[in-house]
Amino acid sequence: MVNYYYDGTFDGLLTSVYESYYGIALPDRVFRTKNIQQSIWDKNIDIVTDSEKASKVYEAICKKISYDALRNAYHAYLSELDDIDTYILKYLRFGFKMGKSVDLYLTSEEVLKVHSAAKKVRTESHLLLGLLRFKKLKGDIYYAPYSPVHNITFLISGHFVRRLSDQFWVIHDTKRSLAAVYNKVECVFTDLPTELQYQSATTDDEFESLWKKYFNSICIKDRVNPKLQKHNMPARYWKYLVEKQ
Amino acid sequence: MDLQKKLEILSAAAKYDVSCSSSGSNRKNTKGGLGNAASCGICHSWSDDGRCISLLKILLSNYCIYDCAYCVNRASNDVPRAAFTPQEVANLTINFYRRNYIEGLFLSSAVTKNPNHTMELMYESIRLLRQDFKFNGYIHVKVIPGADFSLIEAVGKLADRISVNIELPSEKGLKLLAPQKDKQSIIRPMNFISSKIDERKEERKVFKSAPLFVPGGQSTQLIVGATQDHDINILRLSENLYKKYKLKRVYYSAYVPVSKNPLLPDLKTPPLLREHRLYQADWLLRFYGFSANELLDEHNPNFDTKLDPKANWAVNNISLFPVEVNRAEYEMLLRVPGIGVRSAKKIIMARKVKSLSFDDLKKLGVVLKRARFFITCNGKYFFNHDMDQFLIKQNLINGWEANDWEIIGKNQEWEQISIFSLIPEKPTLQDRIMSITGEI
Repeated sequence: MVNYYYDGTFDGLLTSVYESYYGIALPDRVFRTKNIQQSIWDKNIDIVTDSEKASKVYEAICKKISYDALRNAYHAYLSELDDIDTYILKYLRFGFKMGKSVDLYLTSEEVLKVHSAAKKVRTESHLLLGLLRFKKLKGDIYYAPYSPVHNITFLISGHFVRRLSDQFWVIHDTKRSLAAVYNKVECVFTDLPTELQYQSATTDDEFESLWKKYFNSICIKDRVNPKLQKHNMPARYWKYLVEKQ
Repeated sequence: MDLQKKLEILSAAAKYDVSCSSSGSNRKNTKGGLGNAASCGICHSWSDDGRCISLLKILLSNYCIYDCAYCVNRASNDVPRAAFTPQEVANLTINFYRRNYIEGLFLSSAVTKNPNHTMELMYESIRLLRQDFKFNGYIHVKVIPGADFSLIEAVGKLADRISVNIELPSEKGLKLLAPQKDKQSIIRPMNFISSKIDERKEERKVFKSAPLFVPGGQSTQLIVGATQDHDINILRLSENLYKKYKLKRVYYSAYVPVSKNPLLPDLKTPPLLREHRLYQADWLLRFYGFSANELLDEHNPNFDTKLDPKANWAVNNISLFPVEVNRAEYEMLLRVPGIGVRSAKKIIMARKVKSLSFDDLKKLGVVLKRARFFITCNGKYFFNHDMDQFLIKQNLINGWEANDWEIIGKNQEWEQISIFSLIPEKPTLQDRIMSITGEI
């Protein structure tokens, strides 16, 4: 078995696609370096991320396959699901063969896997546009911690840049230690100083209790349906939901 | 009275208003302003009854001069009363919005003093939000029947969606339960709003910068189960509203017993299954190309409790089936029970490059549970019996495979049903799944 190991960046993944055509061997599987599971029979190749090779692949996907395919590959990459990198590589290679009709092959495995991973990411992004909760801290900073299943901070931050353009805010993915910080001018991605997390735990926000009151009184008691509630709003997100604490 | 108490009273008073959608408008944020609208709509939470919370849904006041029998806020009902000031409404909205609790505001009100006075206060609340706070998030305003058209127009210029409640499906029902309201006072503003929307659309074709008028369109709501009306009357009414006034949505609200008035039916629980069936049928009208008369007729004026409207239609029109998935038109695929908009589109795409078998359909994620009785793949029919109307109907109702029984068996509420027994009002297994996804 030939294994590729790349550094976990999207550029690294695109470089892997490049190397699969021009490098020494076609990989059977592709891994991000952190999932190391080697066997002595395997041939392991470390992919060195090369932004030039990556951008060649990037442009080739847009030109020879489609922008949708690039979008699918990127979203699937953000899903961080097991083995997804292998399927993305296969999907893109299949795409270079079939052209833009690749997305019609809904019954082939690599297309199916990439589509379903991308869909999961988009679904979660949309859900969290609603479920993210900001808390007002000192200095008028609105702080929103959350821990999404997929790495969606890059996808959702744009929405808040447009929407909450006149306030300071921070979206903090606690699972990945990644934060989007907005200063009323631009949004930057960084790892976060622990200061804010600490402040958030010790500050009270009066509107939180008002929101809880609202949440409870808007419910029609004759129609209580916890199963439906959990279906729409899975319990894994409740940890950071004001109204569910 | 403090803000917390007011919020509690006035949101509890608004909870029977069904609509909470925030879709249809794509109002942009302005420089230095706050918020925008997402045309797909965004849900922000789900309350314990499983309904989505997207907007801050409140009444401006619940002091009402009307005494409609079905309403919790009727003048003769002994409930705590409160009223917000426009300032308070704006303040709550802005602060909830900044914390991403809500997508915007849904403002309704009981009729205080008279319709115009109420409408003026509502206008002032949203004027504050739009002009003083530069708020560009979603605003849905309920129109008070009987208010001047000039006021409705002023509100429409600021709101994303406005709605006039039909309340009850027939004029007879209105006369009986809400004698102070009449059909004309509801239909006239609806007509006015729809003509204004059309007018503004034409204007915007010429002048891109012409001001908006309810970009999210209008909707309405009616109560199901408080009067004797049949499902077919309700569905025909909806169909007319969609066609004539181009409504975005008609909401159905199962009547929750809030009164012991002898004019009202004595219900133990709200008729949720009936409400569910109406929503299913409503979807069929709007997205599946069905008409009300195809689904019901004078001999069968109400929906089957055991079968969803589409499956029921298919069984009654069995001569149109089976449908060959590799050749059927999109419109016909949509009419197959179990195949929804998403599945139909996937089938159309996938069959361009490959002829589809049953296994392929499974891979696409098409649910074959009901569809298998109505389709062929490359001429092969999956159900190994004849296309027999009654056999298929029984199978749809009772499930078919052994593992269906297992699923049912796991849930204590569900009893095993013998083929010819008549089941009391209990939804089928499929319904339980669909009542979760809301899809047909």
